[in-house]
Amino acid sequence: MSSLVFLLVRSAKNSFLELLRKPGKLILWSLVLLGIGGIFVLSLFTGESAENLLDPAWLKGILFLLVAFFMAAAIRKGLSNGDVIFEMSDVNLLFVSPVSSRLILLYGILRMAKMAFLAGFFILFQSNSLRSGFGLGFDAVLLVLLGFILAVSLLQILSLLIYSLTNGNPARKRSVRLLATAIFLPLAATIGVQFAKTGDPLLALENALGSPFLTWTPVAGWASEGVAALIAGDAAGGLLFLGLLALSGALLILYIALSNPDYYEDVLVATETAFEKKRVIAEGQIGTEASSSKKVKVVKTGIGGWGAKAIFYKHMRESFRSQRLGLWGWPSLLLVAGAAVTSLFLGGKGGEGGKLLVLLQILMWAQIFLIGTGRGLKELYLHYIYLIPESSFRKIVWSNLEIAFKVLVETLAVFGVAGLIMKEPLLLIAAAIAAYTLFSFLLLGVNYLSLRWTGTNISAGLLVFIYIFAVILILLPGLVAAVVIGSRFGDVGVVIGLGILALWELIAALVCFALSRGILHRCDMPSVKTGNQV
Amino acid sequence: MIDVREMTKNYGRLVANDNITLSVGGGELAVLLGPNGAGKSTLIKSVCGLLRFRGSVTIGGHENHTAEAKRLLGYVPEFPVLYPMLTVAEHLEFIAKAYRLEAWQDKAEQLLRRFELDDKKMKLGKELSKGMQQKVSVCCSLLPGPRAVIMDEPLVGLDPHGIRELKTAILELRDSGCALLISTHMIESVEENWDVTYIMVKGRIERVCRRADIAADQSLEDVYFAITEGKSQGDPA
Repeated sequence: MSSLVFLLVRSAKNSFLELLRKPGKLILWSLVLLGIGGIFVLSLFTGESAENLLDPAWLKGILFLLVAFFMAAAIRKGLSNGDVIFEMSDVNLLFVSPVSSRLILLYGILRMAKMAFLAGFFILFQSNSLRSGFGLGFDAVLLVLLGFILAVSLLQILSLLIYSLTNGNPARKRSVRLLATAIFLPLAATIGVQFAKTGDPLLALENALGSPFLTWTPVAGWASEGVAALIAGDAAGGLLFLGLLALSGALLILYIALSNPDYYEDVLVATETAFEKKRVIAEGQIGTEASSSKKVKVVKTGIGGWGAKAIFYKHMRESFRSQRLGLWGWPSLLLVAGAAVTSLFLGGKGGEGGKLLVLLQILMWAQIFLIGTGRGLKELYLHYIYLIPESSFRKIVWSNLEIAFKVLVETLAVFGVAGLIMKEPLLLIAAAIAAYTLFSFLLLGVNYLSLRWTGTNISAGLLVFIYIFAVILILLPGLVAAVVIGSRFGDVGVVIGLGILALWELIAALVCFALSRGILHRCDMPSVKTGNQV
Repeated sequence: MIDVREMTKNYGRLVANDNITLSVGGGELAVLLGPNGAGKSTLIKSVCGLLRFRGSVTIGGHENHTAEAKRLLGYVPEFPVLYPMLTVAEHLEFIAKAYRLEAWQDKAEQLLRRFELDDKKMKLGKELSKGMQQKVSVCCSLLPGPRAVIMDEPLVGLDPHGIRELKTAILELRDSGCALLISTHMIESVEENWDVTYIMVKGRIERVCRRADIAADQSLEDVYFAITEGKSQGDPA
């Protein structure tokens, strides 16, 4: 046991010392902690008027959805490789050591709980939203975090157990799939019945939130009900459901430890797969295609183009080979469907474009992170683009044409569908398309500028932080001008405002691209720091 | 052909390459030796234009970031990273198109045959083993007919046939007047054919050794250990 305690304590100590040695990491963590503190302080001063507060049942629903999402991921992992609770160093050093395999399992689960805590860190940023939306304080945020950590820890153990029980046994895998679907059937039926009764999707959902079928849905229902009960001051109810989570976790651990002390083989595949993914990423393959086990059928072959143009044709070949719809796979379809559903919820009466603006705002936030999925930015992590004997500018342009084309078509579909549902005027839809497309163009520019300015010699986390900060800073003048000028023009003000924003985005993007000129020979080829020596 | 003058590369406070000067002429095989962490890969990446640095690097008289220099350069990286969704044949086609090569098909076929990849033309990058990926990486670097070739641990992961073929290819390149800079830990693999060896320790070139400089009974391995182990013994560490 002492060796495991030594490992845990020494790893924690070394992580802290590393933080002190790396100013970039220290700044990032300081900013995160300051952000949490700032939001907490802000939440103290955020006034909430009773009439605008949402029903706390919606918070329960949101938490249910969040945990259900993690549940689906955990079951999926369990049916493929199992969850990762060990590092490769544990496999190489601990598994072959004369330490009890049960104690090693306990050590793995303790480390896993740390990961669950880190995964729930984003909840701490929600104190202001919880205050303004539900009238809840920071204590409620901590309760949500507690429920989330308990649920995610349990799910990680569940994933391990599923893998151990179903590995190499298709019949058992089928049973787990059936069981996982059956768990949610009563709730789905309740929502269906409520919808049939009321005819209003929102009311049907609201009624289902109070249903015992939601409360007793394993893990997601227990976690959401436990947290909601504690927030409402029902300590007994809260402890019952959160206790159920803790008890289930303990029983699963007990089962694994007693029934299968030789679990090493069960965790080995997941650990090796995770290690291999990290290795591949560290070597420059930052996409998921390299480590995906999906079978790909090679039908059409060949690369078009000449000189730098070949990069674009290569991207097209890669995209169409990787998914049937080429540039527009499931994420694009989900984006359009999501925008359509959001438009339905926002209402179909149109008005002064306010609802389309809400959708635009949501999509712009999402695009800040989605723009990095383009092949152009990923190309920077491989040596090929640097060595092609063409001008840096031509290579960057052709390398990003694929994402530009993808975004343009996506934008037309998203705002076309949403505009029709919201019954917005054509001019407004066109202005939203222009603002969104040019925003994507600006994001590309800011991405390159961040890389150019930092020289990539900083941690990925800090780079993302700088990037988001730069986006907000660069967009702000255009946004202020759009609001100030647009507000003077009455009904057409929204269109004029969006036009001004689009123009600003274009100018800012061009300036960003001009400033990041020569990125291919003025900054180090970036590499992803995976935190592992590979 | 490859000319490095007073090149320094820092990672924050760490000096990875400290005032390096080296040159490799046409028809010359230069070997870069050094213990782990000596700065060999950093030097190679800087020469290939993948890292920023202070100092000057020219390939065939052209600054290393220019298109003219890149046209002369072939690079085999330490890790053979391929595009997972391209077939082996498409990797070569992409290089040919991007480098604007005319009548490249015969040469591509020849390279694939030489490295026993001709039956794997339709295999995707992600379906290949590490060794196969390394062979494709070598083929990609040689397809444009470079006049300066830089290889970082090129023999790692190759099977015996691949090692033999690559060693032969290296000799052929040298005999055709190509400048070669090869970093390796496998001293015995270059023992017979090296012309000049740069031994790096802690970011600096500790010794430049020409074949004529060493005694007849002395091997490159002896020279290497005399420099690196002698250094570490006297090191206060």
